[in-house]
Amino acid sequence: MDHVPGLAGATEDDGFDPGQAAALLDQATRQARRAFTPLTPLLFTFRAIVVLVVFGGCWLSVRGQHPYTGHISGWAVAVAVVLVAVSIGWTAWVIGRAGTGVSGPAQRKWQAWTGIMAAAWIIGYGAAAPLYHAGVSHPVWGLYPASAPLLIIGLAGAAVAAAFRYWPLAVTCLAIAVAAAAAGFGGPAGSWLITGVGLCAVYLCLAAFTAWRQRRSVVEP
Amino acid sequence: MTTELDPLIHVPTRLKIVATLAALPDGDALSFTRLQDMLELTPGNLIIQLRKLEDADYISSTKTGSGSAQRTTVALTKKGRAALSAYIQALRDLLGGLDVEATSPTAQSARLQL
Repeated sequence: MDHVPGLAGATEDDGFDPGQAAALLDQATRQARRAFTPLTPLLFTFRAIVVLVVFGGCWLSVRGQHPYTGHISGWAVAVAVVLVAVSIGWTAWVIGRAGTGVSGPAQRKWQAWTGIMAAAWIIGYGAAAPLYHAGVSHPVWGLYPASAPLLIIGLAGAAVAAAFRYWPLAVTCLAIAVAAAAAGFGGPAGSWLITGVGLCAVYLCLAAFTAWRQRRSVVEP
Repeated sequence: MTTELDPLIHVPTRLKIVATLAALPDGDALSFTRLQDMLELTPGNLIIQLRKLEDADYISSTKTGSGSAQRTTVALTKKGRAALSAYIQALRDLLGGLDVEATSPTAQSARLQL
């Protein structure tokens, strides 16, 4: 066997050269990253499609209203409910699968994050009920659900993610908040479209970033 | 420059174990059964390799519960993480060195002579 530098101390598995070791290390690391990452590029891509269809559907159903009432058609609501339910179900499944057998501080932080985000969702969308009950004007009623809850969720998520030092997640949440804030300038009908396109872009960027992070080599600098 | 590969890590099975545990955030642990499923190893083989890594203080294992509910978790220690970083650096140095060797004028002229 030719002498390979650096293997003077190796006593087991002779013939396992540095090139093979680098390939195996990369392969094992990528496999582990995929297994432990709860939110996959495929899921983010699916979410990008979901937000585009859901918010786009809402925009299609309100854009021709004269006078504006803010009422979304039944088919748009039905499509939204089905797609959001599938997205939540898929997310819960992948989180459960990735966390199987894993314990420790990061895992507990992740569980805390999930709880806080669920609370932000309930507060953000739940606040629409008192508004409706108070009889706010149609434009306000139309503008609120398209932008305000996502602004609340995005800012809460960014704050918690920054506290946990989950920087990619903090940037993502901040981008969601920015998209929601920008939607506020689109008017009651246009806000649905701006939010949909903005969130779609955020999720696609996140899918690309996650895919890159999972595939990047450990050995190659 | 580090060019010696840690013989404790430079074994396919142990390299896979260390790489898998290193993919977890610092301080997190993985159950023995999940690790075994991920690496598709027999319990006996995994125990032998884990023991060697634990003897070197590269991993730590914790047992919780008792009887049939007993659960073993393993985690990469700070020393283990540092050893893997040094191993990766050594690999980079070696592979970089091999590339330089392969593209050096001496190596190219030797290849031309063949």
